[in-house]
Amino acid sequence: MRSATLFSGCIAALATLVSAELNISQPLLSRQVLPSIFKPPQVFKNVNLVRTTNLDKAYPRETINVIIENVDSAPQSEYYLPFESGLISRVGGLEVKDKKAPEQGVFKVEVVEYDTESPTEFYLIHLPTPLAPGAQQTLSITYSILSALSPVPSSIEQSAKQYLQYTFSAYVPSAYETLKQKTKLKFPNSDVPDYTSLSSSLNADSVADPQKQGSTFTYGPYSSIPAGASEPISVRYEFTKPLTHTSLLERDIEISHWGGNLAIEERYWLSNLGASLKNHFSRVEWQKTSYMSPATSALKALPIPLTPGALNPYFTDDIGNVSTSRFRTGARESHLELKPRYPVFGGWKYSFRIGWDADLSTYLRRLSTGPSYVLRVPFLEGPRMPEGISYSRIHVRIILPEGATNVQYQTAVPIVSSEVGLHNTFMDTIGRTVLSLHAINLVDDWRERELLVSYEYPWTAGFRKPVVFTVGMFAVFVTVWVVGSLDMRIGKAKKA
Amino acid sequence: MAATEGDQFLKQATGRNTRGLLRVIILCLIAGAAVSSRLFSVIRFESIIHEFDPWFNFRATKYLVQNGFYSFWDWFDDRTWHPLGRVTGGTLYPGLMVTSGVIYHLLRFLTLPVDIRNICVLLAPAFSGLTALATYLLTSEMVTSPSAGLLAAAFMGITPGYISRSVAGSYDNEAIAIFLLVFTFFLWIKAVKNGSVFWGALTALFYGYMVSAWGGYVFITNLLPLHAFVLICMGRYSPRLYVSYTSWYALGTLASMQIPFVGFLPIRSSEHMSALGVFGLLQIVAFVEFVRVQLPSKQFQTLLRALVVLIFVVSFGGLVLLTVTGVIAPWTGRFYSLWDTGYAKIHIPIIASVSEHQPTAWPAFFFDLSMMIWLFPAGVYMCFRSLTDEQVFIVIYAVLASYFAGVMVRLMLTLTPIVCVASAIAFSQILDTYLDVKTPKAESNENGTSDPAKVAASAILPDSLRSTRNPLVGIYSYASKLTVVGASAVYLMLFVLHCTWVTSNAYSSPSVVLASRLPDGSQHIIDDYREAYYWLRQNTADNAKIMSWWDYGYQIGGMADRPTLVDNNTWNNTHIATVGKAMSSREEVSYPIMRQHEVDYVLVVFGGLLGYSGDDINKFLWMVRIAEGIWPDEVKERNFFTPRGEYRVDDEATPTMRNSLMYKMSYYNYNSLFPAGQAQDRVRGSRLPAEGPQLSTIEEAFTSENWIIRIYKVKDLDNFGRDHQSAGAFDKGHKKKRASKRKGARVLRVE
Repeated sequence: MRSATLFSGCIAALATLVSAELNISQPLLSRQVLPSIFKPPQVFKNVNLVRTTNLDKAYPRETINVIIENVDSAPQSEYYLPFESGLISRVGGLEVKDKKAPEQGVFKVEVVEYDTESPTEFYLIHLPTPLAPGAQQTLSITYSILSALSPVPSSIEQSAKQYLQYTFSAYVPSAYETLKQKTKLKFPNSDVPDYTSLSSSLNADSVADPQKQGSTFTYGPYSSIPAGASEPISVRYEFTKPLTHTSLLERDIEISHWGGNLAIEERYWLSNLGASLKNHFSRVEWQKTSYMSPATSALKALPIPLTPGALNPYFTDDIGNVSTSRFRTGARESHLELKPRYPVFGGWKYSFRIGWDADLSTYLRRLSTGPSYVLRVPFLEGPRMPEGISYSRIHVRIILPEGATNVQYQTAVPIVSSEVGLHNTFMDTIGRTVLSLHAINLVDDWRERELLVSYEYPWTAGFRKPVVFTVGMFAVFVTVWVVGSLDMRIGKAKKA
Repeated sequence: MAATEGDQFLKQATGRNTRGLLRVIILCLIAGAAVSSRLFSVIRFESIIHEFDPWFNFRATKYLVQNGFYSFWDWFDDRTWHPLGRVTGGTLYPGLMVTSGVIYHLLRFLTLPVDIRNICVLLAPAFSGLTALATYLLTSEMVTSPSAGLLAAAFMGITPGYISRSVAGSYDNEAIAIFLLVFTFFLWIKAVKNGSVFWGALTALFYGYMVSAWGGYVFITNLLPLHAFVLICMGRYSPRLYVSYTSWYALGTLASMQIPFVGFLPIRSSEHMSALGVFGLLQIVAFVEFVRVQLPSKQFQTLLRALVVLIFVVSFGGLVLLTVTGVIAPWTGRFYSLWDTGYAKIHIPIIASVSEHQPTAWPAFFFDLSMMIWLFPAGVYMCFRSLTDEQVFIVIYAVLASYFAGVMVRLMLTLTPIVCVASAIAFSQILDTYLDVKTPKAESNENGTSDPAKVAASAILPDSLRSTRNPLVGIYSYASKLTVVGASAVYLMLFVLHCTWVTSNAYSSPSVVLASRLPDGSQHIIDDYREAYYWLRQNTADNAKIMSWWDYGYQIGGMADRPTLVDNNTWNNTHIATVGKAMSSREEVSYPIMRQHEVDYVLVVFGGLLGYSGDDINKFLWMVRIAEGIWPDEVKERNFFTPRGEYRVDDEATPTMRNSLMYKMSYYNYNSLFPAGQAQDRVRGSRLPAEGPQLSTIEEAFTSENWIIRIYKVKDLDNFGRDHQSAGAFDKGHKKKRASKRKGARVLRVE
């Protein structure tokens, strides 16, 4: 009887969840499949374009500032941004803003995909207000490209410098004609042994291409580049730091109303994409050089700043606790310093898990209207290193208390997919409500972005566990009593 | 009148209930103490599986939990003993893993998804609580005093002899086996006392469980028949014995044969023959008893004599015949080593190389049993005084277990329960005597009508006889009582202190993780094993074969998750000897062996930098001896000693030693850590040769932070078909050596 009501309640809760999911905040990224013979309508013109490629981290970050002009006779709102099909799956965190009015927020962006094998794929940028014919607008497009840097030479001595090669097109790929453009490259230092020199005849100013200025190179300006033009160039520069890459990050955020606790666990599958060791690892050399702590392509430590008030951190891997970690905590900051069991050289892997607790009251607010709660947590935490870290896939799970309904979320991070499910763990009867969010191709720049989750949690749901537990214990006692008082002796009972 | 009687009844009932409740509470507290004193390692280090064998058990348990019971039963493990593999499902005692698996699934059913690792780590402490309970039950069967049982339970809970094998994380067969051992004995005593099929069948059930859990079940298999045999010899044959023994033997043997690893051993191996023999003897005795009732005594005598002789001749002849024809397996080497402690050293070095198979040193008894070592004989003596059927059992158990514990260190474990029981009997006797505050009344009272025997005696004998006067002998002064009781209390407290100290200092180290102290007193963890194992796990191919000495096989399987050549199962001596030969030979000999076994990495343990004495150079002689056992012409132990018979690693080390792969791998590149000519081995305390060894067929792949683990990669064949020595020489710019010198090095052809 009880289970039947529970079951129907569960069904009802699920039904509301499903209906709720339809009207939750629209994900910023969606996909749209276009016919194979698609070509973007030539309704725009890039008046002036400046691309800044920042190479001081372990992944290139590009910012394209472009003044676009509507050359069509009707107002237009769809601007296409082309990428090579191999590249688009590694482009992460693409954000478009109006340079003149950044307070308007980010524009809606979707990935447009051909259904055949086409060399080019597009991001489709929706301008919030259609651009009138002849009008101009300045877009600021930022994104980072994962796994775009390759170490050359691909294997080096243990304490040698590491050089990375970055290959791209001197002409910014565009679906529209570009009147004037240039590309600025910012290197981490001025040690750039190899780079492609273009003939000065291509250059609009007829000067040597590229122009060097310290650690900054400038390709261009180029004038009147037609749509789809490309001019491959590659640069090779010194970067003796690890290329830390996380192929998968699983992040669980578990809420306990009874304990007033927020438990966070993160599981990392790390690897170093840098140059591999030419010879094998030599401990002697490592110990000799470690006193001077020179720049190295090996990953030695992972500093993780946690939100202040973090408690009980742990750092384990598949075979137990990793004792080489430090946790510094204070009123202002909590700092977790992880040291992998071994220095992670190029081509090596290291997977581990960390976790910590926090006081729930700093993250959770109860709304004044009804039994609703709002949770505000960072979407992504994780290491903060000067050389950066990139994530291919991120799975975030928000494990809400058992019986939480009407889950909605909002975040500035592009989410690929999301679902609400159930998770059965300690002493659950119907299972805890879980919101799973999947994101791809993020970098450590996104670690400040917040995730807001709102849900309803009636007070009766909070008593489900104690009641079920009490009833269960009582049932056990009753059963024992009944069984114990049965007379199962063969033959007649002796009279006392 | 009825009312007062009822009152009396109620009062007694509440008294009994109170005492029962108190007993339950005390037992719970004892179990709590037993569990908590085993948690040192979890608190100091972490929840981790200890040592070597537990890693295999843990791995097997994970396999069981992931793949289910039937695939566990049929498990063929191709990741050990490469390239042979191991029929793991049929060559292990599954009781431990199945117990953990059942607990795991039960907890999941109760919506408590506890990690399987935590179940495995805490299984031994949990079962030690049960062992304390079982000891209470066993002791309570022996003596009437209930305090003896409680004392025995407390002793069992904290005695180091048992804790040594049951701290949290030591997930070994003994973890549950000692509980099963004690509980089976309890059930057996119960069965003998009651002569009940029910208790006999329960004994068989738990005996079956014990067989599934530990190879030490043979101890029960021989002890119970011995008990029955001694009882028969003492003329104490009774239908009770017949019923309990036959029901145990029939059901228990069937149960034990269900375990694939045991199979038909109970009817085919010599170790089990005593149980069968006593079973037969009991039938005869029962038959004879039956006949005796039917026949007059004169004829009976003749019949008996003829019968006994005939049966003895027939059965002994049959046994010999069967043994000779090979139907019954003769005694195994492990068994011989129980009788002759030198046997293993000569014939089976692989058994002798395990430290826990060494004979026990005297201090170990005091270390593991503390004050019980002198209470134990007293308890056994007290059993002699009354010598009921169950006390005969104690005596036999005490004698046998004492002997075995002296022969092999690990069998201290089987001695511990009986020591606890016997010393608890002795101790409770002391306490019962001296804690009694009441002084018996003077003789005048004693000559009352209470004792009919005494009345009769006094009627016959004159009062003046001294022997009949039966004066009130004893110590009744409060001071003396207080002294004795106080001393006992002090002993008990010292015992607790000793146990806690031993547990915390000697038995709570995971041995996977080493602890040291920093100058400021804080704990520093030396985690080299896991560093290297995790490196293997993360950065080598999934099926990269690792060659190491067999001690580390289980750990590599469990932590690094890579195939190994040999492991702690040691079922194939030749394979181990092959690895020993590869380790102890020159590179030119080792390389073909390693190529033939598809070895990708070689792992050695080297403690020279840290002063870690359990390293491979110290174990090296065992490798040599085991290899010599198979290839006496190629590996010779003598060549590893200097002419003066010393085992050295410094300048005076023999050429054989310095050219052996193990020596080279241990010291490769080691002297570049030190100023020239200053390289020091901190374990052997010797200065190493100025020039370190050179390697040509393998290359260093990884060395852990404190150099404890060194991993080498076996080089692939040379691209030009040269052998690695000449290739290395060519790279260095040396002239090519003459072909005649290359004769020794065989180049392996690989198609």
